[in-house]
Amino acid sequence: MTDTAAELRAAAPGAALRGAKAIPNPLNCRSIIAVAAACLPCMLPMAAHACSATLEGGKTIDSARHSIAYRTDPVRIAVGKPFAVDLVVCPREAAATIDELRVDAHMPEHRHGMNYKASVKPQGTLGRYRAEGLMFHMPGKWEFLFDVRDAKGVERLKQDYPLK
Amino acid sequence: MIARLLWGFPLALLCMHVNAQAEFSAGEKEAIARHGPWPPALIKDTSNRHSGNPAAVAFGRALFFDPRLSINRNLACVSCHLPGRAWADGQGRSFGSAMLDRNAPTVADARFARWFGRDGGADSLWAHAIRPLTDPLEMGMDAALLAQRVRESKDLAACYQRTFGRALDDEIVMVNLSKALAAFQETIVSGRTAFDAFRDALVRDDAKSMARYPAAAKRGLKIFVGRGNCAVCHFGPTFSNGEFADIGVPFFAAPGRVDAGRHSGIKLVRESPFNLLGRYNDDKTGSNAVATRHLSLEHRHWGEFKVPGLRNVARTAPYMHAGSHATLADVVRHYSELNEERLHADGERILKPLRLNPEESSDLLAFLESLSEKAPLRHIRIHHDNPDCRPHGDAIQRKIRKT
Repeated sequence: MTDTAAELRAAAPGAALRGAKAIPNPLNCRSIIAVAAACLPCMLPMAAHACSATLEGGKTIDSARHSIAYRTDPVRIAVGKPFAVDLVVCPREAAATIDELRVDAHMPEHRHGMNYKASVKPQGTLGRYRAEGLMFHMPGKWEFLFDVRDAKGVERLKQDYPLK
Repeated sequence: MIARLLWGFPLALLCMHVNAQAEFSAGEKEAIARHGPWPPALIKDTSNRHSGNPAAVAFGRALFFDPRLSINRNLACVSCHLPGRAWADGQGRSFGSAMLDRNAPTVADARFARWFGRDGGADSLWAHAIRPLTDPLEMGMDAALLAQRVRESKDLAACYQRTFGRALDDEIVMVNLSKALAAFQETIVSGRTAFDAFRDALVRDDAKSMARYPAAAKRGLKIFVGRGNCAVCHFGPTFSNGEFADIGVPFFAAPGRVDAGRHSGIKLVRESPFNLLGRYNDDKTGSNAVATRHLSLEHRHWGEFKVPGLRNVARTAPYMHAGSHATLADVVRHYSELNEERLHADGERILKPLRLNPEESSDLLAFLESLSEKAPLRHIRIHHDNPDCRPHGDAIQRKIRKT
C-alpha cells in the first residue's frame, strides 16, 4: 500500500472498517493530489480574499491573531452625537473563526468609558460587522477597544481617537 | 488732518488685530468657535408630530400657564418656570405641593437637549412634560384626570379638538397635551449675548468687533477653554455636552436619603412607557431612539447630574441641582477649591481644583456673565394664533406679572 492510501485511510476511518474495497485506487489518489496541487496556488489567494481587512476610507489595526479594518459612520465623529462603526475582522489563521466581537471606547486619562453600550451585529459578508449606539460625550483622547473572541480566548485591539 | 486720520484708522485696526492674535492661540480660537454659532438651526423633534405646528404651539402656550392641569388647580408649569427668572424659579429646591429634592431647571434651550430633567429621566421634551404633570409632589394628575379636565372645560375641549381632533383615549389625551407643551417650550430659545458677538467676530477675524468684548471676559474665556477644562463638559453652542457629571456636590436629599441622580434617571427612562422605544414616538423608524436603546447603567452614574447649559447662567441662581451654591461667584469658588475627596472613586479624573487667584476668579466670572442676555428672556413669537387657546388662570397671571 502506498503512503497516500494510508493517509486516506487514516483520514476516513469508516472506510477502513468497511474493508479493502473501500480504499481508493492509488492511481486515483495520485490524480486527486495532482489536481489539488494544481489548484493550491489558486486556493490560497481565495482564502485571503474571503476576509480582507480593508474598508475604503477606514483605518486598520493588526495584532498577533487578527486584523481589523473600521470606519466610523459618519466618518467625522462629533462630540455628543451618536455614531456607528463598520468593521471587517479577519483572523490571521485561515482556519480560525470569530465567535464574538465587542466594540467599546474609553478615555484613558479621564478613566471612564462611554455612557452607552454599543450593539454589534454581523453583516451579510464574512467578517463584516456594524456596531451602533456609540457616543463620545467629551472632546479629548478617546481609545477604541475591539474585543475579538475566538477559540483561543479574547484578544483586545485598541486604537487612539483624538476628538476635538 | 484727514490724511492723518486715514493713516491712523488702519493702524489702530492693525494693533487691535495683533492684540487679538496674541490673546488666543489657534487651538483656543478653535475651541471658542465651537461655542457657536447662536442660535443653532431649529430642527423639529421627530418624536413629536406636533413639533413646530403653530396650533400646537399656541395650545401648548395656553397649557403652560393653565393651573387646571394640577390636581388642586393651583399650579401651572409657569409656577416653577418663570419667564422673568430665565424660565427657572430662583429656588434652591422647588416647591410643588411639597418641597422637592431639586430645583426647576430653565426650560430655555431645552429643545437642544438629548435628556431632560436633572437626572435625564426622560428622553424627549414631551415625555418630560408628563413627569411634573403626574408627580404626586408636583401637579398630581393622571391621564384620566387630565382627559376629564379637557372634556369638561369648554375652552380646553375646543382647543384640543382644533389641534388634535376628538379627545378619545385618556392616555392619548395626556400624551397630546404633553406634545403641545413641548411644542411651546421649543420656542423658548436664549437670545444672543456679548460672547456670541465676540465669538462671531473671532471667526471672521474682525478685530474691531472683537475689541468690544471686555478684557476681563477674554481672560476668563481663556481659563474656560484652557486650564480650567470647563469646555470639556460645557461644550458646544449650548455650553453643555448634554450628559451627566459628578462634580463633588453633596447629593443627600435629606439625612440618610441620597438623590441618586443619573443612576435613578436611567432606570426611569428605561421603565417609562413614554420613552422613545414606546408607541408614542412619532418616528416609526426608531432612529431617534438610538441613545435610549444603548443606555448603559454604571455604578459611576450615582450622584451624577445633568451638565447644565450656561446661556443666561447669571440669571438662574441659585446653582446646582439643589441650590447648594447661592451665587455664580460661589460656583467659581467651588471649582477653584474643589474637594476631590467628595468625588466618587470612579468619578471624572480630570476634575482638579483650579486654585484661581482673586483676579482669575473675577475674570472667569466676567466671562460667565457675558453669556447672559441683557434684555428679558422671551420666547419666539408665533404669528399664527389659535383663538381658542388663551392663557387661563388669574392667580398665575398675577404671579407672572410680578416676576
